[in-house]
Amino acid sequence: MSRTALPRTTLTPRRVAAATVTAALVVGLAACGPKADGGGSTGKDAAPQQGGTLTVLNQNPQDQFDPARLYTSGGGNVPSLVFRTLTTRNRADGAAGTKVVPDLATDTGTPSDDAKVWTFHLKDGLKFEDGSPITTADIKYGIERSFAPELSGGAPYLRDWLVGAADYQGPYKDGRTLDAIETPDEKTIVFHLNKPEGDFPYLATQTQFAPVPKAKDTGAKYQDHPVSSGPYQVVKNENDGTHIVLKRNPNWSTATDDQRKAYPDTIDVQSGLDPAVINQRLAAGTGADAAAVTTDTNLGPSELAQVKDDKALAARVGTGHFGYVNYLAFNPKVKPFDNPKVRQAVAYALNRTSVVNAAGGSSLAEAATTFLPNQETFGYTPYDPFPAGATGNPEKAKELLKEAGYPDGLTITLTHSSATGKGYGPDLATAVQDGLKASGITVQLEALDSTKYSSTVHTVGTEPGLFLSGWGADWPSGGPFLAPIFDGRQIVTDGYNFNSGLLNDPSVNDEIDRINRITDHAEAAKRWGALDKQIGDQALTVPLFHPVYKRLSGKDVRNIVISDWTGVLDISQVAVK
Amino acid sequence: MAPQKPTTGEARTASPAAGGRQVWRRLLARRAARTAGLVIVLLTLIAVAAPLLSALEGQDPTSYHNDLLDSAAGGVPTGTLGGVSAEHWLGVEPGTGRDVFSRLVHGAQISLLVAVGATFVQVTIGVLLGLAAALGSRLLDQLIGNTTEVMLALPSLVFAISLMAVVPSDFPRPLLLTLVIGLLGWAGTSRVVRAQTLSLRQLDYVAAARLGGASRWRIARRELLPSLAAPVITYAMVLLPTNVISEAGLSFLGVGVKPPTSSWGQMLSGATTWFRADPMYVLLPSALLFATVLAFTVLGDAVRTELDPRAASRLRVGTADDTAAGTTGPATERTAEEASA
Repeated sequence: MSRTALPRTTLTPRRVAAATVTAALVVGLAACGPKADGGGSTGKDAAPQQGGTLTVLNQNPQDQFDPARLYTSGGGNVPSLVFRTLTTRNRADGAAGTKVVPDLATDTGTPSDDAKVWTFHLKDGLKFEDGSPITTADIKYGIERSFAPELSGGAPYLRDWLVGAADYQGPYKDGRTLDAIETPDEKTIVFHLNKPEGDFPYLATQTQFAPVPKAKDTGAKYQDHPVSSGPYQVVKNENDGTHIVLKRNPNWSTATDDQRKAYPDTIDVQSGLDPAVINQRLAAGTGADAAAVTTDTNLGPSELAQVKDDKALAARVGTGHFGYVNYLAFNPKVKPFDNPKVRQAVAYALNRTSVVNAAGGSSLAEAATTFLPNQETFGYTPYDPFPAGATGNPEKAKELLKEAGYPDGLTITLTHSSATGKGYGPDLATAVQDGLKASGITVQLEALDSTKYSSTVHTVGTEPGLFLSGWGADWPSGGPFLAPIFDGRQIVTDGYNFNSGLLNDPSVNDEIDRINRITDHAEAAKRWGALDKQIGDQALTVPLFHPVYKRLSGKDVRNIVISDWTGVLDISQVAVK
Repeated sequence: MAPQKPTTGEARTASPAAGGRQVWRRLLARRAARTAGLVIVLLTLIAVAAPLLSALEGQDPTSYHNDLLDSAAGGVPTGTLGGVSAEHWLGVEPGTGRDVFSRLVHGAQISLLVAVGATFVQVTIGVLLGLAAALGSRLLDQLIGNTTEVMLALPSLVFAISLMAVVPSDFPRPLLLTLVIGLLGWAGTSRVVRAQTLSLRQLDYVAAARLGGASRWRIARRELLPSLAAPVITYAMVLLPTNVISEAGLSFLGVGVKPPTSSWGQMLSGATTWFRADPMYVLLPSALLFATVLAFTVLGDAVRTELDPRAASRLRVGTADDTAAGTTGPATERTAEEASA
């Protein structure tokens, strides 16, 4: 859960956010509302068939295809067609999709009593693309190589959790192996953790848990020809992942994989496109674009306004939820935010309607009063410590300001990024500014260059008093959502620090430890929700909204599944015939 | 540029005044120039009276109106033509509901202020450096010449963006815009002034002044500047529309004025994605920007034709009327003036 050891500068919070948000955009309610389609027997009602070519139109090239280097939530999209992992996300629509299910393993792992030792067994008949069997040694090797400095990019959890892994440098240099991972036989793998982690099955969905055959490993060049364990293999990868073509892997079988449907014969991924172009092409749906989807582009507010008047198009728009919160972050070391009453006044004064509209309107953002996303899997417990309605409560805010010693109002500075449309930009900042006006709080805006924004606001010492921030978890659980932001032991003084409120409350820290021991997800979720409420009362952050993603898909695309884990259309389920 | 009252024996300082009046009359006689001038006067009035106009409408440029937006449809304004109503004469902004009319008239302030200010900075620096290069030592000339070359070769947009980005955000943005555009765009003026000065100082009346013991400063001020007025005014009129565009461009790219201050460029930048869903929001700032640039260009063109007919006929093929007006008029006057000197 921890992001304490962020050793690589590449792992900026934006990168985390980008990886998670990127994973979070797609469409797909068409499967649920096919009536408006009117396409007759070829419409979306017909049972999905095998065959055909699915085109994927994306903004961001898949510039990394090494399982060790991918920072993805639940195995990503295109990569999860090629790499199977010990566990994976349940490929189902909505909330059911937040469950973790077995993939290569027979179950989601057997924990020891204290959740510090996790044991997995492999299914029978697992094969790589060349027909050779997949063994636990391949999985262990795949994890080990992700520690090599030349294959950096993955999430830091394994290094933090595995016993003796803190200084491990991978198998290349001195051939050392990780003693924390045992493979007593070809079918069994045992992980030894240095602390209880009930969320381990969620971590095992990441591509670092994909098997890599040692004999075929070419180090940094492995991503040119990664060995497939999934339904497709890479036959073409041009211009650093700008154009990728996947074809069927003959050695993959539905007998061992009940999650991936793999209907199309070929998947053609074209990236480097402008978001407006992607949505235009999907809307027009001419030629190959009729059987096209996108996994990283959502509809913007203006595109949504157009869709409103076009019923056929609206039927092709799906809704995705992804666990994310945009919030105002306080630095209580900066005056006047050291005074809880000032922070509370800001919380009461906020006009969330303006904020939601600035974020794209009620279809693209849901007003938030909790830090945890409004999904059960995170332990969402509805609460509002500073109830002020949709448009704020200026009287209450003024009263608090008076108590805090500012009877004539207050001038504060809000720091935001200069980049528009990123969730930390001027649009949102001016909406906050206008909302606080009625309560006598004058907000001065300070724009930071977008390239410097993350590093400035997430560094102790340069952190401003009040700034726009956002957080998304690496898997749908309360732990990775709350711990990096509120665990006092995760305050980082010489690198990226996400605990911007510098909260170091023993009662919070201890509760985090206690919940991590719980292996029953539903039970843990309840406790995370209660913890969220406890922290929320301190007004160290003011939750603004939870984003919602609207995605368009081509008119011939069927069987659209969008899970709440990623909020993204799942390519492994899509059919084009 | 208006010279002093004519004193005895100083006919040449008097003639530009008379010429100025004549140029003015001839400009007014041109319909295009008259219309352009009218548009500019109107825009200036709008800019000056922006707070008044907003108050007349009963709105201000920064207040949000969430009730006028269809939140579920991405925050597009409800109602026709981008939410045009008796309260909001030109509709409201998508996503915020801010009053478009108020933002447009306040945006005119920024556009005109920055463009005129930047032109002033450019012309002042250009004239001073051009004169210094032409009248100073060879070393100074070379130094200024090289600097001018560098300034001309500089990718000014890229440079302006980085300058705008590094200056602390509490520095007043309109002033910063004026300075950045002004300091990056004086090179052309400086070159024109230097060349003009070099040819002027060969003339007998300058030589006479020099022989008469006039100082360099006096020669520059009394003998050269009045004759430089025509090319400088012409050049300034060409610079003005370019500067309007530069300001809009920088604001469009997000390095212009600080939100929530409005400027046309910033409005356009926000409007680009809305051109299908809310065309009004794109058309209004575009139309104003277009009208402003066109008016300044037409007027600048006319001024050039009147003041510098040779350059005008070189640069553009005018209508018969234009050509006629060009070949008579100030050319003969200049000859007369030079002859009198």
